[in-house]
Amino acid sequence: MIFVLGLLSGLAAGVVSYLLFVASSKNNSVVIAEQATSVDDEQPNENLESLLLIRDAVNSLSVGVVVVGTDGTVIFRNKLAESVTGVVHSDVLVEEVVEQHLSAALNGETKRQVLDLFGPPRKVFSVLATPLLIGGAVAMIEDITERYLVDAVRTDFVANISHELKTPVGALAVLAEALSQEDDFDIIHRLSEKMVDEAIRVGRTIDDLLELSRIEFGGEAVKDEVDAEAIISESISRVSPLASTHSIRVALIEMPQSLKVVGDRRQLVSAIGNLIENAVKYSEVGSAVEVSAEDEGEWVEFRVKDFGLGIPARDLDRVFERFYRVDRARSRDTGGTGLGLAIVRHVANNHGGEVSVTSIEGDGSTFLLKIPKYVSGKQSIMRESA
Amino acid sequence: MNRLAHDELLELRSELLRITASLVESIPRATQILLDQDLEGAEYQILADDEIDSRTLDLEDRCVALMALHAPVASELRHAVTIMKMSADIERSADLVVNICKVARRIHGIQLDPKMRGLIGRMGTQAQILFRHAIQAYADLDLPMAKAVDDMDLFLDYLHRQFIESIFESHSAGTIDLAVAIQMAVTARFYERIGDHAVNVAHFVRYLITGEIPPAGDHRRGGRLGEADAEVEGLVQ
Repeated sequence: MIFVLGLLSGLAAGVVSYLLFVASSKNNSVVIAEQATSVDDEQPNENLESLLLIRDAVNSLSVGVVVVGTDGTVIFRNKLAESVTGVVHSDVLVEEVVEQHLSAALNGETKRQVLDLFGPPRKVFSVLATPLLIGGAVAMIEDITERYLVDAVRTDFVANISHELKTPVGALAVLAEALSQEDDFDIIHRLSEKMVDEAIRVGRTIDDLLELSRIEFGGEAVKDEVDAEAIISESISRVSPLASTHSIRVALIEMPQSLKVVGDRRQLVSAIGNLIENAVKYSEVGSAVEVSAEDEGEWVEFRVKDFGLGIPARDLDRVFERFYRVDRARSRDTGGTGLGLAIVRHVANNHGGEVSVTSIEGDGSTFLLKIPKYVSGKQSIMRESA
Repeated sequence: MNRLAHDELLELRSELLRITASLVESIPRATQILLDQDLEGAEYQILADDEIDSRTLDLEDRCVALMALHAPVASELRHAVTIMKMSADIERSADLVVNICKVARRIHGIQLDPKMRGLIGRMGTQAQILFRHAIQAYADLDLPMAKAVDDMDLFLDYLHRQFIESIFESHSAGTIDLAVAIQMAVTARFYERIGDHAVNVAHFVRYLITGEIPPAGDHRRGGRLGEADAEVEGLVQ
């Protein structure tokens, strides 16, 4: 930021001298002519070149810059500052804050504000306005959306993992304490059953965490030729006991024959299995889940579609985070660990593919997993994992 | 008009854009407040409306002063009139946003079913899209975009009808009681009205550009608004 301020001070000084030069050349050409005889002819050109250089440098910054003169007139605005969001109403709101802060800066005050715009898309900007030594003021507009979201993910992750691990362990401690002081056989039996449930729950979370670590740091990616239909069939059979319990029909939609992908069979079954399991858990009793695979050029697109609760729009970007819960109260009932979709995302990354979701709350969700297609005789197109 | 008056007109334009931008930003916020039943957010949004009220009033006063003191003609007169007219629609839309926040307080603790939540989200999104396009049309003086806002409103009307149907379904299924059903029906109406105001704004943009007031039958106040009312009444009967 200090470098940017230095650059801007240079720019402001350059702009002012250039404006003086232009003004004097327009208003009094005689003076210029007189100067030309006494001053080095090259000086104005050098100033102009320096100015253009600084202008290009400031235009290449990833920060919006607005420089105002002592009377508040804008004398320079870099390209980014012309439209920081690309959306009219958001630009207008950013501009309003910039103007307010520049006005304060002209009175010698340095002001900073974080502007959180709902969007969509949600954007977070940091606006800093500060007075310049030679007069006037400069405002810098920085898009900190990514940093802001990463911070949110990190904070939520720590809170969520504590919750997911501490809740069953805490429950086990309380149950064990109650058990140690109990003589009634029926109560002992009931408490023991609850302990088993909690132990299974924490065991499942640890299993999923280990699987996630294996996928994430599993070393060299496997590049086998795997049949797409076989992956789906195996995944469906893995989930069918759960689906039967909820009376949900999991249907394989007709798909092209001999469709093959490149990858690790075990990981792919885990990913599709997790998607189907997720769809079953968040569907109403008696509804259906549709699974399909389509040939899309270099890719095979696996789709898992449900007609269940759907996902609120603001949660769509975050459902693939570890332990992220759309509805914490409900997710405890479903028995999930909160890691299923994170596993899917890592499997997609490992295969050089991608996973995405479209959803309308109340209408259901469709998860799309893209995996590189296997083409016989051709070199694998599987990309290095991101 | 002299230079000073011309600058004042430009300043009025900027102020109108700023107030509208605040409104556009507040529509999805209010929707989220309603869905989360966020009492603190509702309070904040309700209080924020006072500022919009005073800014729109000030805007209208300045328009009157401009017309009285500088007697603008032709496009500048149209522009001053347009700003006055649009500010009334924007102020009213901001009140409707406040009403949505007040519903969040009234239904606090009530679990809405996912279908209703989804439709509320979609109505909020569509209402915001209408105003976003209206403000963009004004900022760029884009006639085709101003005309398109009319068509976009049809989708909001469709969502409104769907939502009314879902209220009846939920009430019949016993998931919401009559009081909540009524609150939901008025909420749907708030979104639908925000859409109508966006259409009005777009009509004023058309007037500003062409100098022609869109045909009366094309206008929401006398046109399809009546149809929307009839739809609701039909469902009630």
